Amino acid sequence: MIYMLADTPFLIAIFEYDFLLYALIAGLIMGFITPLIGSFVIIRRLSFIADTLSHFSLAGLSIGLFLTNTLSLTFIGDPLYLAVTAAVIGAFIIEVLRGYYQNYKEISMPIVMSLGTSLSALFISLAGGWNSQVYNFLFGSLLTVGNDYLYLIAITAVIVIIMILAFYKQIVLVSFDEAYAKLVGIKVGRFQFVSTLILSLVVSLSIVTVGVLLVASLMIIPVAAAMKVGKSFRNTITIAIFFSEISVVAGMWLSYEFNIPPGATIVLINIFILFMTGFFKRFIMNKRLKSRQQQIQMK
Amino acid sequence: MNIDIYGKGKILVRLSVNKLTFGYDYRTVLKDISFKINSGDFLAVIGNNGSGKSTLVKCILGINKVAPNQIFLDDIDVTLFHNFINIGYVPQKFDDFNYEFPITVNEILRASNVRRISEDKLLELLDKTGILELQNENINNLSGGQLQRVFIVRALMNDPKLLILDEPTVGVDRRNVEAFYKSVNELNKEGITIILITHNIHEAVADISHVLSIHNGEGVFKEVPRGDDE
Repeated sequence: MIYMLADTPFLIAIFEYDFLLYALIAGLIMGFITPLIGSFVIIRRLSFIADTLSHFSLAGLSIGLFLTNTLSLTFIGDPLYLAVTAAVIGAFIIEVLRGYYQNYKEISMPIVMSLGTSLSALFISLAGGWNSQVYNFLFGSLLTVGNDYLYLIAITAVIVIIMILAFYKQIVLVSFDEAYAKLVGIKVGRFQFVSTLILSLVVSLSIVTVGVLLVASLMIIPVAAAMKVGKSFRNTITIAIFFSEISVVAGMWLSYEFNIPPGATIVLINIFILFMTGFFKRFIMNKRLKSRQQQIQMK
Repeated sequence: MNIDIYGKGKILVRLSVNKLTFGYDYRTVLKDISFKINSGDFLAVIGNNGSGKSTLVKCILGINKVAPNQIFLDDIDVTLFHNFINIGYVPQKFDDFNYEFPITVNEILRASNVRRISEDKLLELLDKTGILELQNENINNLSGGQLQRVFIVRALMNDPKLLILDEPTVGVDRRNVEAFYKSVNELNKEGITIILITHNIHEAVADISHVLSIHNGEGVFKEVPRGDDE
């Protein structure tokens, strides 16, 4: 589809073709909220949770395929809604298992992930096996997003941003220092449950952008790069969002110019930025940081 | 029944622990611990690593959920509290805090400012503890002693009537240890009850009034004569 337009420069094509503009807006919205949430996920050492939830969403998508393709139950509409439902159920199971294995909370992740993956394999096969829809689930279909999806993610983004602004102090405290958060009376368990629900919503929605297999990268990689160079918490999140948006714009542009999949390109650019910041940190910043540390510790 | 200690009317004066038994899963960590301290007391809790000292503190602070009728603050069962803002808590270094992600001294203190104390008061506390010029620094660049002082400011921010210090001098160089205990003694003289957790009582140049030594989860509590002032 994109191949036919390749003669028009990207910047002009965006305004000529709605699907490109939609894709870019969707990418920019997801590029904003995923590192925002990803920061808190990383601090709480829950990086693996995004992956787990996205694999569990795939089960929802596969069940959707089975219902529409095999049983012709088309009333369920977009399988994305089933992905969201599945992610929420997955989040719930994770929380239950985390409570069950108090000292080995991470056990919950592989259990839920394998449940999701095996259900996916089962229902994809029942729905008639491999097809382009399955490919889109796995690797994203940013260029096919419509109005509905844009509204959905715009509303989600607004909710996420309002929640973060309203509960900023609490989120920071719970993330950095759970014991202290409990001490000042924050209901950590309840808080955690709500944040996992929001996370599952965002994860399942971002499947459209980069696909099940790459969702976690949107949340984690820009933040992983930013935390190496950030000076403060806000500064780090700002840098992460900046990296993420650059990768969305550059990824879309490259995918347009070279006719390559946008989701994968976005993720590869993210990884490239990660390496570049690592390089910058290692060879340029470290020396300055050492002397700065000494300076600070002398105070 | 819910008891809110958020209000300024109530102040913490007494802590009494009554036959406290606590464990994680199947492992009992604390057995039958009993002691009582009053306002202005200075309790040192001593014992080897893993003896249950930090577990005891977490029980007092509601971080570990204990059964009712075992711990009382001001004669109120701690299981009825919904927060412990009146208690200042300086956790053991690297214990629960998630390091490595960048955050500045200011950012962490502002997020912890539950009582919404004024900017001036916060600056005054930073100045008093000698970390005023560090307020915009990333905490990951601080030395152990500086970090400890950040946590002390955080504990003092909420005007505590009881201050709990868990191994406060681990990772702090020797010349600062003495200065540290000097300021703790001063806080105690101002009327703040102190509980100091330490594995090394000899190090503590603190003017303690009581000692609770915990060995294998069992505690021995005794009063000690306090040193004369000056």
